Amino acid sequence: MTTTSDQLHRPRDGVSDPILEVKNAKVTYDGGETYVLDNVTFSIERNEILGVVGESGSGKSMLASALLDAIPAPGHLSGEVLYHPDQNTTVDVLEFTDSELMEYRWAEVSMVFQGAMSSFNPTMKVGAHFKDTLKAHNRVVPEGLDFARELLSDLYLDPERVLDSYPHELSGGMQQRALIALSLLLEPEVLVMDEPTAALDLLMQRSILLLLEEIKEKYDVTMVFITHDLPLVASLADRMAVMYAFELVEAGPRDQIIGDSGHPYTRALLNSTPNIDAPLEDMQPIPGKSPAPVNVPAGCSYADRCPLATDTCRQDDPVFEDIGDGHIVACHHWQQATEEIELTFNQDEGGESVEGELR
Amino acid sequence: MSRLENRGPNSVTDEPLISVEDVKVHFEKERSLFEMFSEPDVVKAVDGVSVDIGENDVLALVGESGCGKTTLGKTIIGLQKPSAGTISYRGRDIWETKAGNTDLSFADIRSSLQIIHQDPGSSLNPNRRIVETLSEPIRLTHPAITAGERRARIHSLLERVGMTPARDFASRYPHQLSGGEKQRVALARALLMNPDVILADEAISALDVSLRVEMMDLMLDLQEEFNTSFVFISHDLSNARYFAEHGDGRVGVMYLGNLVEVGPPEQLITDPQHPYTEVLRWATPNLALDATNASEPPMRKIDIPDPVNPPSGCRFHTRCPKAREACTQLQPELREVSDSHQVACFRSDPDHEYWESSELED
Ligand SMILES: Nc1ncnc2c1ncn2[C@@H]1O[C@H](COP(=O)(O)OP(=O)(O)O)[C@@H](O)[C@H]1O
Ligand code: SF4
Ligand SMILES: [Mg+2]
Repeated sequence: MTTTSDQLHRPRDGVSDPILEVKNAKVTYDGGETYVLDNVTFSIERNEILGVVGESGSGKSMLASALLDAIPAPGHLSGEVLYHPDQNTTVDVLEFTDSELMEYRWAEVSMVFQGAMSSFNPTMKVGAHFKDTLKAHNRVVPEGLDFARELLSDLYLDPERVLDSYPHELSGGMQQRALIALSLLLEPEVLVMDEPTAALDLLMQRSILLLLEEIKEKYDVTMVFITHDLPLVASLADRMAVMYAFELVEAGPRDQIIGDSGHPYTRALLNSTPNIDAPLEDMQPIPGKSPAPVNVPAGCSYADRCPLATDTCRQDDPVFEDIGDGHIVACHHWQQATEEIELTFNQDEGGESVEGELR
Repeated sequence: MSRLENRGPNSVTDEPLISVEDVKVHFEKERSLFEMFSEPDVVKAVDGVSVDIGENDVLALVGESGCGKTTLGKTIIGLQKPSAGTISYRGRDIWETKAGNTDLSFADIRSSLQIIHQDPGSSLNPNRRIVETLSEPIRLTHPAITAGERRARIHSLLERVGMTPARDFASRYPHQLSGGEKQRVALARALLMNPDVILADEAISALDVSLRVEMMDLMLDLQEEFNTSFVFISHDLSNARYFAEHGDGRVGVMYLGNLVEVGPPEQLITDPQHPYTEVLRWATPNLALDATNASEPPMRKIDIPDPVNPPSGCRFHTRCPKAREACTQLQPELREVSDSHQVACFRSDPDHEYWESSELED
């Protein structure tokens, strides 16, 4: 166990009791040539639900894997990942031995991936997955299975039927819920979910979100929910973090990110998503494309697509600024963004959009 | 030009482009060795659907997984043979045409009804450059034109679907394209056949949320430009609303093989008539600041029932918060509630015995 005292570089993100801290995390491939995670620093508050949002390929999954020191080979992770099982203890995740890491990944910080199909072994009954996990971690099987049954019923599944089924005998939504139950089997403190519902229909996605909230209350588990679907996670998260081109660009309480975001990218993202209550003409696609890992530009990586970009943006990488109440933004012109890039949804007075009619 | 002549004997009248009448599609589930001698399980994927599609029309089908959207869509474009009911194209029964009993050729009908799949990658040959993939339909439809003309057409179409520089994209292989770009190629390929109807089956569902509006806009522009109708399948009501509203069409809500509500998008969303439509509306995320704490879903069970043994009466009665005894006995039919807005729920009929029957106990 190591203790680190330098809290100096922690951005003032409003997190007072972090359960996990990531400092200057970088993931490189090709011997350091290609960045897929670029100097990310952030923390997760104990018992919160953090929503991490970004488009495909923006580095979200790398961030999730970094939390578990599980970057797929031959990627290389540098920086620090610190775990605080309680307020006074700090553990350096990147220093774990293999067996410590294996225990950490199930019993401390557990992970659920998209697509239960590929996480379950199709030739094994669901119950066998639970038993194997218990045995592999030297847990008492009957007791563990009782807990599994409780978790399954918390997720509105019929425990006996599910444990006795092969994965393919269950619907996609049932499989994904069974997988969530499995990931909670060893009572982890943190559950990291990477697009856990993306393959499911919207009704099942929303139902699962509701169940996750109940699970969180019942078991006091901290949750990290990673997705490209901003409106979806906005209905669940306490706090949100936005990624763009392998970097974190904004983080803050949910209502600030939705209603008062400071980063032009976050604002564009909000305006680009079909929203059931927004006037139809107000949905605007984001022009341009995000950069590929090999050619992340100097300066702000959003400058190419940003309507507010100046020479400063193209030259200097913006650093995080605290804009109040634990809301941090990496943009030179965040003030201008809040004034000039109008959010087009949720307007009571029927405000007009800046860009005018979309179609 | 291969587009079918729009001058059939009936085209002066208001004949729909596609007419679906009481269509059923029942699949027999595969049986294991032990079950060989028992009655096979039957999935009623589509169970009595009637709907018309006009020229330059949009029908957006919504509903949860397994409710029969894909099966109905494929039936509409002649890819799936119905077990009962008829499906006609410009007044000719598609399957009678296949049997050679009408004045049209099945090949012509099939080529004017195209599909774009959810997974764009799976429909593109990984070993062929985009230009080769797109040459094929042109060779079929215009055997006489030169290679140069063909390339020019492909380039202009790629530009039209937003893939510039076209020359560069044309020479790529599918794996060198993003999901959105592959979907554009699939759209371009469908358009080369000059189709009357394109079935877009969850065609935007695999794209990032932020890219969906752009792709829908593109399809809508092409709807106008090429006078193409769309059957647009989505599990997301806000996308269905966007597409149907801009395409001047309707949204059709499916539940376990039935259409339960059909109507103009704004009406269907602001004033849903079917309790299941309200469930879909609940499921659609909303960015309003007060929407953080989602309310309880307006349904009694999370999981959709097994389509092999669908509930009696109204199929939604096992989950419907408004269900009463009457709902377990009789199946409600689609009835008109206002102009072009139909719903299949007893509650739409103020005189129905539903109102006298007792509440359901779980
Ligand atoms: N070829 C098939 N054989 C057997 N069952 C099928 C077949 N195709 C679809 N089904 C079943 O029919 C029902 C409706 O499926 P589908 O039309 O794919 O729904 P959706 O597109 O709304 O998800 C499902 O229960 C599905 O499993
Ligand atoms: S008919 Fe009855 S069960 Fe069906 S939707 Fe209407 S109220 Fe609900
Ligand atoms: Mg489908």
